[in-house]
Amino acid sequence: MFDSIKKDFTTRTLVLIPVAIAINIAVGTLVIYLKLPVYLDSIGTVLVGAVAGPWAGALTGALANLIWGLFTPNVAPFFYVAAVIGLMAGFFGRRGVFQMESPRWLSVVIGILFFFTLAYFLTAFLNRQTDATGYTTYPTPGELLSRYSIVFLLAIIAGALVGWFFLRNGGYAGLAGLATGVVAAIISAPMAAYVFGGVTGAGTDLLVAAFRASGAGILSSVMAQGAVSDPFDKMTSYMIVWLILRALPARFRTF
Amino acid sequence: MNDFSLYVARDSGLHKLHPLTKGIYVLFVLVAGFTLPGPWTSYFVVAFGILPLAAWGKVLGIHLRSVWRVTWPFALSVLLIQGLFWGHGEDLVSLGPLALKKEGVAFAFISIGRILLVMSSFILFSLTTRPDMLMISLKQAGFPGSIAYIFVTTLQIIPRFQSRAQTVLDAQRSRGLETEGNLLVRSRALVPLVVPLVLGSLVDVEERAIAIEARAFNSNHKETSVVEIPDSLLQKRIRAVLTAGAALLVVAGFAWRLLS
Repeated sequence: MFDSIKKDFTTRTLVLIPVAIAINIAVGTLVIYLKLPVYLDSIGTVLVGAVAGPWAGALTGALANLIWGLFTPNVAPFFYVAAVIGLMAGFFGRRGVFQMESPRWLSVVIGILFFFTLAYFLTAFLNRQTDATGYTTYPTPGELLSRYSIVFLLAIIAGALVGWFFLRNGGYAGLAGLATGVVAAIISAPMAAYVFGGVTGAGTDLLVAAFRASGAGILSSVMAQGAVSDPFDKMTSYMIVWLILRALPARFRTF
Repeated sequence: MNDFSLYVARDSGLHKLHPLTKGIYVLFVLVAGFTLPGPWTSYFVVAFGILPLAAWGKVLGIHLRSVWRVTWPFALSVLLIQGLFWGHGEDLVSLGPLALKKEGVAFAFISIGRILLVMSSFILFSLTTRPDMLMISLKQAGFPGSIAYIFVTTLQIIPRFQSRAQTVLDAQRSRGLETEGNLLVRSRALVPLVVPLVLGSLVDVEERAIAIEARAFNSNHKETSVVEIPDSLLQKRIRAVLTAGAALLVVAGFAWRLLS
C-alpha cells in the first residue's frame, strides 16, 4: 500500500497538482461568470485522479480546498469531501473509465436511469408522510408512477436527450461521475448541516428551502439537495475530463 | 512576485509571530467554538479570541470588512431558510402566509455564530501570515517539501491562470461564441472555454517538470533557507499548551455528549 502511494507522486505529478488546483479555482470562477447552476470546482481534482492515481487525486482535492480556504474560508471545512472525490476519480481511472468508449445507446440508458431515479427520489421524498410517533412512510411505487406519470415521462425524455447529446460515447465516465456525486452528497451533508446551518449562500439554497418547507429535517434536507445537485455536477466534471483526455496526446494520459 | 493572497503587510506583533503559532491558535479557537456548549459560545470566541488579535495586528478594519463580505450571504440564507421553514413552533413575526419561527431563528443564530467563527479565524490568519513564510515554517517543522512546493506554486499560478481564462474567453467570443443568453446557450459555451484552458496549461506541465528537475528538486539533501523565521521558547510552549488544550476539549466534548 505504501509503495502504491509513493508510485503516484512523480515529479510530473507534483508539477501537475498546482496546475490542477488552479484549474479548479479558474473554472469555478468561470462557471460563476456564466451563471450556471453547477459548481465545477473539481475538474482539476478529477483530472489528477484520472492520470496520476487515487492518492495524488486525494492530495489534490484536500490541498485545493485548504488553499482556496485562505481566500474563501467556507470551502476549507469540505477538504475531506474533495479528497474523497479525487480518491474515487483515481480508482475509476485505474479501471480505465476515462479511456473507455461506451456505445451511444448505453449512454442513453444511463441518462434515462439517472433522471428517472432522480424524479422518483424527489417525488417520493416530497410526498412522504410522518405520523405522530415519528415513523415515516413513503408512497408505493405504483401510486407515485400513476400520480406523476407526466413528470416521469419528462424525466425519461430529458434523460435520453442528455445521454444522446451530452454523454455521447463517454457513458462510463458519466456513470462514474454520478456515483462520485452521490457519495460526495452524503459525506458533505453533515458538515454543511452542522457548521453552516444547511446553507451554502448560493442558488442551491432554494432547494434546501423547498425541502425544509416540505417538513424534512435539516440534515435530510441538505442530503436531498446534495443528491439532486452533486451527481449533475460531478457527471459534468467527469465528462469534461473525459473530453480533455481524448484531446491530449497519449503520453499525457498516464503520469 | 505577484502572489494571490489576502496578506496585508503591517508592522505588528501578530505579524511577527511564528506562522505555526498562529495556525495552532486558529485550530484551538475553532475547536473551542465547536465543542463548548451554549448558543453564545461562538460569538464569545470571536469577540474575545479573534477581534482583539485583529486589533493587535492592526488589521481590525479590513478584517471586519472581509468577514462581513463573505459571511452575510450565509447569514441571510440561514436566517430565511431556517426561520421561515422550521415547520412547527411559535411565530415571532408573521407577514401574510410567511412567519419567522422562534425556534428557527434560534437555530439560525447558533449557525451564524459558527459561520462567523470559521470565516473570521481563517481570514485573520490569511491577513497576517505570508503564504511563503507559512510554507517555509511547515517545511522546517518536518512537512514534506513537495507539499510546500504545491502550496507556493499554486498561489503563484492562480493569477496567471485567471488571465489565461480571460484570454480564452475573449478569443472564443471574437470567433462568435455566445456567452450570454439562456441556460442552453451558456451551457454550450462551457466546453469550448474549459478544454483550451486546461489543454494549454497541461502542456506547460512538461516544461516545468524538466525545469525543476534540472534544479535538484528530487535531491535528498536538507535545504537551507535565506529567510529565517524567528521563533522563541515561549512560542514553542504556547503551541504545546494550545495543542494539548485542543485535544482535551475534543475528548471532553465527546465525553460530555455521550453522557448527556
